[in-house]
Amino acid sequence: MAARIEALNIVKTFETPSGPVQALRGVDLTARPGEFVTLVGESGCGKTTLLRILAGLLLPTQGEVRIDGTRLGGPSQEVGVVFQRPVLLPWRTALENVLLPAQVQRLPLADAAVEARNLLRTMGLGDFLDRFPRHLSGGMQQRVAMARALLLSPSILLMDEPFGALDAITREQMHLDLLTLWSARRPTILFVTHDIAEAVFLADRVVLLSPRPGTVAEVFEVPLPRPRLPDHRFSGDFAAICRAVKHAMQGNAEEGR
Amino acid sequence: MKSGQAPDVASALVIPRPGKEIVLSCLLLLLLVAGWEVIVRVRGIPPLIVPAPTVVWESLVAHTRSGFLFTHLGVTLSEILLGFLAGCLFGIGLGIGVALSPLLGGVLHPYLIASQAMPKLALAPIFVMWFGFGILPKVLITALIAFFPLFENTVAGLNEVDRDALELFRALRATPWQTLRWLRLPNAVPFVVAGLKVAMVLSIVGAVVAEYVGANRGLGALIISSQGMMDTPLMFAVFVVLVLLGVVLYQAVVLLERACLAKRYRE
Repeated sequence: MAARIEALNIVKTFETPSGPVQALRGVDLTARPGEFVTLVGESGCGKTTLLRILAGLLLPTQGEVRIDGTRLGGPSQEVGVVFQRPVLLPWRTALENVLLPAQVQRLPLADAAVEARNLLRTMGLGDFLDRFPRHLSGGMQQRVAMARALLLSPSILLMDEPFGALDAITREQMHLDLLTLWSARRPTILFVTHDIAEAVFLADRVVLLSPRPGTVAEVFEVPLPRPRLPDHRFSGDFAAICRAVKHAMQGNAEEGR
Repeated sequence: MKSGQAPDVASALVIPRPGKEIVLSCLLLLLLVAGWEVIVRVRGIPPLIVPAPTVVWESLVAHTRSGFLFTHLGVTLSEILLGFLAGCLFGIGLGIGVALSPLLGGVLHPYLIASQAMPKLALAPIFVMWFGFGILPKVLITALIAFFPLFENTVAGLNEVDRDALELFRALRATPWQTLRWLRLPNAVPFVVAGLKVAMVLSIVGAVVAEYVGANRGLGALIISSQGMMDTPLMFAVFVVLVLLGVVLYQAVVLLERACLAKRYRE
């Protein structure tokens, strides 16, 4: 199911009217099959740029992305993407939105609909299949987006601050639901966030990116037991890892000044 | 939960439900018509200049009974509907073409702007010379007029797409055709429907005024000939018919709009 995804010496330079701006400077990163890796960093450290490169939506200036050793040349069916915003089509119901990837791949819709219903039910949206996005809360909309990303069972799931716009309580529930889905299906997950607690709670490994230009500053193992429980947030180990990440982030920021 | 629902703009624009307003509107109409009648009678204004409402009504009834008005109404209605339909189809079609091919859009852009700057009604005399006094020149003028709002709105609707949604379609490896079918076209529906309303209003003006230039039948032709016959009551009767026609056609498009936007695009 799961696949290894590697970023090898990724450099990305954007041409701007005021000259070239380097967004990423030699990023090396590996996520092992089935691993949950979070990418943290301050805003402007190139997290989203890196994720778009990993998704094949943006070509790196140098370096390459490999999935199970194969060079990635563009968007791939192996990779599911969840964006910051749910990006649902407003004229489609929740179920129809989830089915979009199957339609694009010209798969039999009846089979896909069974899978889509299952996914939505798993996420507690069984009663909302025929609702339009405008009738769903922000959390529900993002669940629909997650179901859409998982419909074709991608071996890698890339998530770009998917819960950033949600309130704290909804977000904690989303964390648990995401971890449940992940342990059931075991895709490799790369999850971008600027929330250190979120990064530590979800991850096997936390990758800290330092800004301008973005590069991997440090990697933290998270040895907390699985399954993760809400109470883990109050454990000393959890606090210690968060503190280490925070200090490393501040250290980078001061170096940068 | 941030479910801050946008204010329902659409409901603010629909005609208010029958209630106090509609009663007052009718009263206002009665008042205006009665005032008109009184002023015409008291001042002794000749019917050639301003006929009294009762005189207009008599003319309207007489010409309706004889079927005379219906004949001309039928001609004008055909011109409006055919021209509207042709203009809409051409506008939507070319709009899709331009939205799909920036090259085509770039090449055609100056011509489209020029064609818009040119008042289409100015072409009516030459169309009469080319196509005669029948309905064809009026249909063409009406089609030219109806074309642009549809063209413009179709292009806007197909292009003004959520950039993140385009990125999503790219991530799903959708073909351009799939992106058109499942993203751009559905996105354009409200734009196109708004264009239909504008086009309908313009089509009515286009057909009637085109008839002024050279026609032997149609409501516009009837206005010109009633002027020649100095039959002002008939002219006013035609105005009444035109008002009714305009209201009916506009409401038809509004109903079409509701049907198109129902459920999938509305609260």
